[in-house]
Amino acid sequence: MLRESQAAVVARNEEWRGASATEPYEAGWASEAVVFVRALKDAVGAPGRARVELSPDGMHWVAEGSAFDLPVRAGEVTFARVAHFGTWLRIAADLPEGAALTVLVTWHLKA
Amino acid sequence: MTLDRHEIASALRLADPALSRFDPLPRIIAFDDFDRGFCGWTQLVGNYEDTLDAMHPGYAQHSQAMLSTLPTWDFGSHGGFDGSYALKIATRPQAGARNVSIKRLTFRRRGPIRLEFYFTFKPEANELRLSETDVRSIGFLYDLQTGDQDGDAWRIMPHLRFLNALDGAHVQKWQFKRRNEPFAAVGAGNKTVTHYHLAPEGWEDIAGGGQRLCYNEIPTKVNWHYCRFDFDLVTMQATGLACNDREFDLSGFDSMRIPAMRNLWCMLNLAFFVETDTDKRASLFIDSVCLSGDF
Repeated sequence: MLRESQAAVVARNEEWRGASATEPYEAGWASEAVVFVRALKDAVGAPGRARVELSPDGMHWVAEGSAFDLPVRAGEVTFARVAHFGTWLRIAADLPEGAALTVLVTWHLKA
Repeated sequence: MTLDRHEIASALRLADPALSRFDPLPRIIAFDDFDRGFCGWTQLVGNYEDTLDAMHPGYAQHSQAMLSTLPTWDFGSHGGFDGSYALKIATRPQAGARNVSIKRLTFRRRGPIRLEFYFTFKPEANELRLSETDVRSIGFLYDLQTGDQDGDAWRIMPHLRFLNALDGAHVQKWQFKRRNEPFAAVGAGNKTVTHYHLAPEGWEDIAGGGQRLCYNEIPTKVNWHYCRFDFDLVTMQATGLACNDREFDLSGFDSMRIPAMRNLWCMLNLAFFVETDTDKRASLFIDSVCLSGDF
């Protein structure tokens, strides 16, 4: 059997300001994931960094430990790798006052 | 004793535990058991041109379906009808939010087709109460178009939903929608249009379509339901709807009917959707789908 693999767009053309996060994504079947963030427009100000978060139930979230710079220029892509994450995944960020970023967020998941 | 091929096929299907809970027509077009992966069910993305800003907000809210073990905070994974996984379609946590998953096919021959699936639904269990009125509706639709050489040239879209609750009232009835929504151009290229066929207005009751579905006694327990929808691609008319022990009268049913579009010949799209009635995520879970045809 080929390994199950899936690309999931979980945020498309969403403007992030302040405390922002992707919708919970359930992927207990996957053993590894890469999350990509593409800036669809130039950021307003400095958007800062995003973090990977895990959850026991899709409702209560805890930082996984991975953090990465959010992209700044339109078309720029940043990413993080994560493994051994249980079932639930999301990324979250706290953009500084006045900063804004329009994102496309994609999980690439493999069994 | 002489058996014809249909009797042999029927006996073999009844002996197959995966298929014996379905009543398929002679040809199985697709049998999607989500223990085998996503089986071609993907996100319904809205149309756009030049910029994603052109996408209708009703479509922009959609996101990708998941493979779910129906995990719960209070007892762990619920699991599927069989095996561990089901397809999960989840809304955002805003009242009226909707999400849609779609499978895109074309048909080989116009004739009867049958859609069967096992499903259940629940809101996000973030309160210690039953929450039976938090999911507004679950539903399904076909997006069909006649063949490019056919004498009739129509795009036909049968829509059905189980309206579970509306504005907090536990309604529990089957509805259909035939009202066309207006088309709007997307972009300047004159190649792409959009119409928001899942707009919340225009749903009509199926006669005698009230049904009290099993809804277990805390917000995390689920029970699986069976649903069957029969449609004839020759007449482009619905011929049957059943859910668990009930069969419904579709004599008053009709579909959205739109002049054929230049690029959608023989289209056979299936979609499932879920809507939330409160500021909670609502999820529709599909354990398995069997699409069959008489050809």
